[in-house]
Amino acid sequence: MRALLTAVFRKEMTDHLRDRRSILSVVGGALVGPLVFAVMFSVVASWNRQDKPVELPVVGRAHAPSLMAYLERTGVKLSDAPLDYESRIQAGTVDAVLIIPEDYGKDFAAGHAAKVQLVVDNSRTKARATIKRVQAVLGQYSGTLGTQRLLARGVSPELAMPVRVEEVDLATPERLAASILNMIPLFLVIACFMGGLNVAIDTMAGERERGSLEPLLLNPVQRGTLVVGKWLATTAFACTMVVVVTAVFVAVAKRVPLQDLGVKVSLDVTTALGMMAAVLPLALLASAVQMLVATFARSYKEAQTYLQLLMMVPMVPGMVLALSPIQSQSWMYGVPVLGQELLVSELMRGEPLGVLPFVLGTVSCLALTAALLAVTARMLGDERIVFGRS
Amino acid sequence: MIEVTNLHKRFGAVTAVEDVSFRAEDGVVTGLLGPNGAGKTTTLRMLYTLIRPDRGSAKIDGLEVAERPLEVRRSIGVLPDARGLYPRLTAREHVRYAGALHGLSGATLDKRIDELVELLEMKDIADRRTEGFSQGERMKVALARALVHGPRNVLLDEPTNGLDVMSTRAVRTLIRRLREQGHCVVFSSHVMQEVGALCDRIVVVARGRVVADGTPDELRARTGKDSLEEAFVTVIGSDQGLMQ
Repeated sequence: MRALLTAVFRKEMTDHLRDRRSILSVVGGALVGPLVFAVMFSVVASWNRQDKPVELPVVGRAHAPSLMAYLERTGVKLSDAPLDYESRIQAGTVDAVLIIPEDYGKDFAAGHAAKVQLVVDNSRTKARATIKRVQAVLGQYSGTLGTQRLLARGVSPELAMPVRVEEVDLATPERLAASILNMIPLFLVIACFMGGLNVAIDTMAGERERGSLEPLLLNPVQRGTLVVGKWLATTAFACTMVVVVTAVFVAVAKRVPLQDLGVKVSLDVTTALGMMAAVLPLALLASAVQMLVATFARSYKEAQTYLQLLMMVPMVPGMVLALSPIQSQSWMYGVPVLGQELLVSELMRGEPLGVLPFVLGTVSCLALTAALLAVTARMLGDERIVFGRS
Repeated sequence: MIEVTNLHKRFGAVTAVEDVSFRAEDGVVTGLLGPNGAGKTTTLRMLYTLIRPDRGSAKIDGLEVAERPLEVRRSIGVLPDARGLYPRLTAREHVRYAGALHGLSGATLDKRIDELVELLEMKDIADRRTEGFSQGERMKVALARALVHGPRNVLLDEPTNGLDVMSTRAVRTLIRRLREQGHCVVFSSHVMQEVGALCDRIVVVARGRVVADGTPDELRARTGKDSLEEAFVTVIGSDQGLMQ
C-alpha cells in the first residue's frame, strides 16, 4: 500500500517537475501578488512621507522675521528662492515658493491684513502634499495671531469664528495602507488554488484525454491509492506555492517603508510561520476540490474552464474583507477560505488568537478533503467517468 | 485460461454485448474477430475488470472478474483500447511505473525491464522521452508496460491497428513467442488477415453475439467456403467492416 502510494506520487512528481513551462507560468503568476503589493506600497509611501521636511524657498525673508521663526519651529526648511522660481515650479523641481512683500512689516504693525503670496502649480499632484502643509502652517500662524489680538482687546476669539470646519479625512495613508495589507490574505488563498491547478487538471482530465487512464487503472492498485497519490503530488505543488508566496511577502515587507505610513503590522518570521499554518490546510482542500472537478470534467478544456471559475470563489470573501473588515466570530474560522483569510489578517494585525481558530480551520479543511478524495476515488470506478460520456 | 459465459452489457438504450461465450486455453492464441461496433472492446473491457457485466460470468484462471478485480488484474497483461503514454517520461520509466504498481522493485524490476527492452527491440528508444514517438515505438512501450509483471494471460485490443509492416511483424512475433511460452493470448481485430495469420482459434463476434467459434479449418469446413474471407462474410451475414 505504502510502496504503491510512493510509486504514484513519485511518478507524478517526476512528470510534472519536468513540465518547466507550466511551472514557470505558475510561479510567475504567484509572484504578481507580492510585486503589486510592493509597488503600491512604495508609491503610497512616497506620496506621504511624514518624516520628510517641507522645503520652502522664500523671497524676502528679512521682511518677516517672526513668521520665519514660526515656520522653522514647525519643521519647514527655509531657503532663499532662486530668481527663476516660476519656471522651476512649472518644471516640478520646486513645489512652492513664498513671497513676502516689502510692506509686510508695515501692514502687520498697523494691524492690517499683511499680504504674502504662495506661488504654486496646482496641476501637479506630487506638489499637493507640500502645498497643503505650507497652507496649513500659514493658516495656523494667522489664526494664532488673530486670537491673540482679539484676546488683547478683550473679545472672545470664537466671535470671529462663526463656523469651524473640522476635516475628517477617511483616505488617510494609514487607511489606504491597511486596505493594501488586506490583500495579502487574498493572495495567499489564491496561491492555494494556483499552485496545483495544472497538476490537478493534467493528472486527472489530462490522463484520460491522453488515453493513459485505462492502462493505469489496469494495475492491481485500489482506486483510492491512485487518487491519494495524485492528490499528494498536486498538493505538494500547492503547498510549495503557499510557502514561496509567504516568503516573498515577508521579504517585500522588509523593504517596503511600512513605518512611514504609520502602519502597525507585523510581518516577521513568526507571523509568516503562523500564516502558513493557517493557510496550508486550505491548500490540501483546494487540491482535493480541483482533483474532483478535473475527474468529473469531460475534457482537459472543460476542466480548465471549471477550475478557473472555481478560482473566483475564494475571491469573494477576500474582496469583502479587503474592502470592509468584519468582526470575526468563532464559526467563521471553520468556513474554508473565509476562515483562512480572517486568520491571516488577524495574525498580521498582531492580535492574540489562541489555538482554537487554527484547529477549527484545519479540522474543517481536512474533513472536507477526505470526503472529496473518497468521492473522486468512487468516480474512478464509474465506467462513464473512465470511458467518457456523451 | 479464460472462460466467458453468457456475458451481457448495455449502456442506456444501447446493447453493446448481447450474449458472448467462449473459452481461451493456455498455449493457444484466440482471436476475437468482428466488424467495428460488434462488441469486441466491451467484451475485453469486462474481462480486464474495468466494466462490470450486467449478466453472465467471466473467469480468468478460475477467478470471477467482477468479484476479485485486483487478483484478476495481477494475472492479466492488457493492451487496452486506449494506450496513451506520458510524453514527459521515458520508455523505461513507463515500464518501471507499471512494474512498481504491480509491486515489483529493485533488481527484480530492473532485470525484467532489461528483458522486455531486449524482447521488444527497444534499446535505442528506452531512455528517450516518449514525446514524438512513432506509432510502432508507442506500441512497443505499451506492450512492455502490459507485460512487465509476466502475466499468464494476455489480452490485446486491436494490437496491430495503425502499425506499419515492420511493427506489425514485431507484434506477430511477440504473440507467437507468448504462445510458445504457454501463455493464454486473446486478441481482437477487425482485420481478417490478421486473425487468419495468427490464431489457433477464432471467435467471430457480430452485433454483440458469437456467431462462429472454431479453428480456421473448422470455419472453412462449416461454411463450405475455400477462403477465410468468404467464410467470415458468410457467418456474419455481411461484409461490412471486414475490409480494410
